[in-house]
Amino acid sequence: MGTLDYFVVECPETLGGEYYKRIVSTVLLDHDLVKVVAKIHVFIDPSVPIFVAAGTTRKLPGLVTVRDFSDLNIEDHKVTISIANEAYLAPLLKILWDKFGQSRVDQPDRLTIVMSLGRDESDGLPDMVVSDPSEALYKDLIYAMQAIAPEGFKVRRQYYGNMKFYYVASENTLDEDISPLLSEKFGLMGESL
Amino acid sequence: MILVPVTYKGGIYRHDEIVDLIEDVGGYIIQKHFVAQEVVLQALVPRDDIELIRAVGKPLMGDITPASLVGTEIAVVTMSLEIHHLPHASCDVAEYIRRNGAKTNMVGLARGFGKRIAQLNDEERDVINEHDLALFMLGNFETCIEKKLPVLRRGIEVPIVVCGGPSKEALRKIIDPPVSGYVGNVGRFMHRTKESDEIEKLEEIVAEITSVLDIRREEIAKDPLSVSPARLMDIITEQVPDIEDVTSPTPITVQIAGLRIKLPYDIYAGSVRDCEIENGITIGAVADIRPSRMRDYILIKIKPFSDTSIVV
Repeated sequence: MGTLDYFVVECPETLGGEYYKRIVSTVLLDHDLVKVVAKIHVFIDPSVPIFVAAGTTRKLPGLVTVRDFSDLNIEDHKVTISIANEAYLAPLLKILWDKFGQSRVDQPDRLTIVMSLGRDESDGLPDMVVSDPSEALYKDLIYAMQAIAPEGFKVRRQYYGNMKFYYVASENTLDEDISPLLSEKFGLMGESL
Repeated sequence: MILVPVTYKGGIYRHDEIVDLIEDVGGYIIQKHFVAQEVVLQALVPRDDIELIRAVGKPLMGDITPASLVGTEIAVVTMSLEIHHLPHASCDVAEYIRRNGAKTNMVGLARGFGKRIAQLNDEERDVINEHDLALFMLGNFETCIEKKLPVLRRGIEVPIVVCGGPSKEALRKIIDPPVSGYVGNVGRFMHRTKESDEIEKLEEIVAEITSVLDIRREEIAKDPLSVSPARLMDIITEQVPDIEDVTSPTPITVQIAGLRIKLPYDIYAGSVRDCEIENGITIGAVADIRPSRMRDYILIKIKPFSDTSIVV
């Protein structure tokens, strides 16, 4: 886990903490998150019981727009989109169907979309957001934290945004205000929430 | 005649000669697997004939090795069947025990996770009690093991071996009343066991289980069973031909003092009870035949000599 800028597992039970350090590194490697996470601080106290994972991410790729993965050709009312990266075809089709209706979106072949649109409708089409990579990343991160946390810790609170994330879980009810705890853990990493 | 549990591995070609030899010298084949071009036999063979079997098997690329757990059925009790515990560590451990000859069943508890919220229901308890031994795969923290194990072991009558993250000494200290066996430093982990120190830990688990089962075998030796479970398996295979239609890898599972027959109890219990062992002595006379809590299987518990005054 040499690629992380900060990686600490804090636990009152030393041996248990060592095992959890191995679990965290295994899960982050398995989920391909080592290059995404910059800092992570995990705190587990089984006597409370509570599990806290707080961390920061590296700079993520920005939003994916139509012009990033396709050629757009607008002639009068005819709009032709030639897709270069098929990965974004399905989400784009879904957006176009929702916006203009399925009957107006023609797909003569797998990677071509033809639509008949008014000028006001085709305005802004090249800059339309199709995918937000950070959203998928958020799901992956939270899923990884779920796998790391002790299984019985079903009561949880999680957050991701502004290149920071946290995951707090327990088998008992959590305190209404967990921010002091989180501020302390972020402070240990030299960050603030 | 002392029967020793062994594993024979060799080529499929002419393997029937080995099967015949084992049966001719008075041994029993407990399990037979075909893996690609290889056959694996789990068997109980007379100690004096091991060298003979080895000599006959040598030209057939076969080898015979001791397998201490042949003829036992072990419950690997995992706290849940979620990704937290499967496939590592529970499957790794179950697989390793299986390689040593045991039939393992994974018992994934419905609500085994957590410290305060862990529970064991009556079905899980009864299923575990049908085995020769229960191997509890616990977590990494002393605090949790100390708190939850008393709940999870409630009503378990078979010997328990506990695997947990804390050291063996720490496990001994926190578990009260004591269990039959402890293996420390094997808690929850999420990577595959392939390094030498991890394999050594798996060996340690097998050694601990073997020593616990040896005590059980010694107890049985003091008051021997009315009939050997392996012999009973042969008799049932011969007299209940429908067992051949069961697709399970082990249609009859041999336990230390009984058998699990994977046929419906309602339909077959009568015919199993009436199977003749020798000179008019039926299975019903020397064993309890009950419905298993595992599906609708039949569970046979062989009575000791002190109960029946018969040894066949």
